[in-house]
Amino acid sequence: MTSLAIAKCAVTDHTTTEHPSASGPGQTVLRVERLGKIFGDQNPAAVAHTGPDAGTEKSPDGNSVVAAWDVSFDVAAGEAFGVIGESGSGKSTVMRAIAGDHSSTAGSVWMQRRDGSTVDLLTMTASERRALRVDELSVVYQDAAEGLDLGVTAGGNIADRLTAAGWRNFGQIRERAAELLGRTEVPLERMDDLVRTFSGGMRQRVQLARALANRPPIVLLDEPTTGLDASVAAGVLDLIRSLLEELGIAAVVVSHDFAVIEMLTTRCMVMQHGRVVEQGLTDQLFEDPQAPYTQRLVAAARA
Amino acid sequence: MRETTMTPSSNDVATPTQATVEIEMTKNQLSDESSAVLSVRGLHKHFVLHNVDGRRVESLNGIDLDVRAGEHIALAGSSGAGKSTLLKCIYRTYLPSAGTVTLRSPIGPVELTGLADAKLAAIRGREFGYVSQFLRAEPRRGALDIVARAGIARGMDKETATEAAAVSLRRLHLDESLWDVFASVLSGGEKQRVNLAAGTISPPQLLLLDEPVSALDPANREAALALIADLTATGVAVLAVFHDLDAMDRLASRVVVMRAGRIIESGPPDQVLHHLEGVAR
Repeated sequence: MTSLAIAKCAVTDHTTTEHPSASGPGQTVLRVERLGKIFGDQNPAAVAHTGPDAGTEKSPDGNSVVAAWDVSFDVAAGEAFGVIGESGSGKSTVMRAIAGDHSSTAGSVWMQRRDGSTVDLLTMTASERRALRVDELSVVYQDAAEGLDLGVTAGGNIADRLTAAGWRNFGQIRERAAELLGRTEVPLERMDDLVRTFSGGMRQRVQLARALANRPPIVLLDEPTTGLDASVAAGVLDLIRSLLEELGIAAVVVSHDFAVIEMLTTRCMVMQHGRVVEQGLTDQLFEDPQAPYTQRLVAAARA
Repeated sequence: MRETTMTPSSNDVATPTQATVEIEMTKNQLSDESSAVLSVRGLHKHFVLHNVDGRRVESLNGIDLDVRAGEHIALAGSSGAGKSTLLKCIYRTYLPSAGTVTLRSPIGPVELTGLADAKLAAIRGREFGYVSQFLRAEPRRGALDIVARAGIARGMDKETATEAAAVSLRRLHLDESLWDVFASVLSGGEKQRVNLAAGTISPPQLLLLDEPVSALDPANREAALALIADLTATGVAVLAVFHDLDAMDRLASRVVVMRAGRIIESGPPDQVLHHLEGVAR
């Protein structure tokens, strides 16, 4: 892991001014190496009988699902990397492996930490992972119920993140929560309403505010606008792009939607049946796709 | 029809004049490589359409071309000749099939066709830019903001970028009342001017222009052409595709004619353009 550049970075302070991540541009902050995940029987023989050529991610005996195999990519500081594919392609599996929502079968996920050290996320314990999620690696889920406590107020959901990072002063917490909700365009008068009473678009905005509360250098976004009305989705997308750009946050964006990947990312990869079929610059991948599968996907999206 | 220069050399019996021009052009085009901002060599592009019986479409068949600082090269030829494909292969929106594209940047020569995606992404826009026919409208962003951000992305500070953006938009006659309106609701011609302003603010050393004034009415087109002419005057290397001969005549230091993915002719506009009527349109 020598090629991961190391940058010294200030410990989280509690000021409210935003600044880009301390890692310089171009430095790799996340590197996924030959990641693999098999559900069911952990039978390595299943790998050979699955994937795009086999036309399935399920092993012939039906006891193993090779949800992702041999997945590698890296993300530089401030860069957004896209993962695109249909249902069952393995894109969410990859995201959940990085997030630590489930264990992985193979590979490594190297991440550069705030203190400059580099760690393989897959070797960390569950409690170490939880600590990481507080202020170094945030996740925004398609279903807000996964990223938020719906029975708590919008402000409370954010305060929860702030206190986990060591904030103690009530006034400062309120102030920071209000500032974050302002940034994500949630009306301040709704700060003390339960998230359950929020619309889908508003819930995603609260999720974003919570995810960004402690200014993580890396955010994972899993279908962040899927299920929202088109006009609402456009607003949330635009907000995500502005925030990533202004805060210099690196992101992994997982989506089945070409428009989302095109708008948010500069590089991306295409997955099918648990494997990467193509990787490239986002505009090149959409204008000059090489793999037959990608050509079909692009043609379908343009039709 | 007077043939000025042909590459590769035609089978016609060369008159002394023609031979001289040919040698000069070859020298001009290829020998002084070190001073060129962009050098394209043996560039080929074919598409394989896997979903149309694996059909293979040859689009570029060996392109050699240099573009120097302060030089404006206009690509001419009928549609399908490969003009836009060439621009897109240089920018690598299309993946070249063979050949090299060398950009001489301040940090040294960079061969673009083999550059890692992340490295290419890092120099795109900064070291060389691509201005398309259309603005890819950012849903909730105003014209001034879009242009200023483009300047900031090329290293300007916010204040300077905003000032430069205002100057450029004013110059392109974009009504000031539209500057903070979301660009997605602007007309085609307005969007195109925003796009041109964003593409040319604090310009990189090389600009690829793909029909950048196609949607403009005569008055606005005038202003846009003047802005593009100034790029050349300040030393930017320009490789452009225009559909009208008048724009090429006014802007180009050299016109390069393409047909079927090859360069068939190259020379100064006054020598090339007059017999191109009906070919370049």
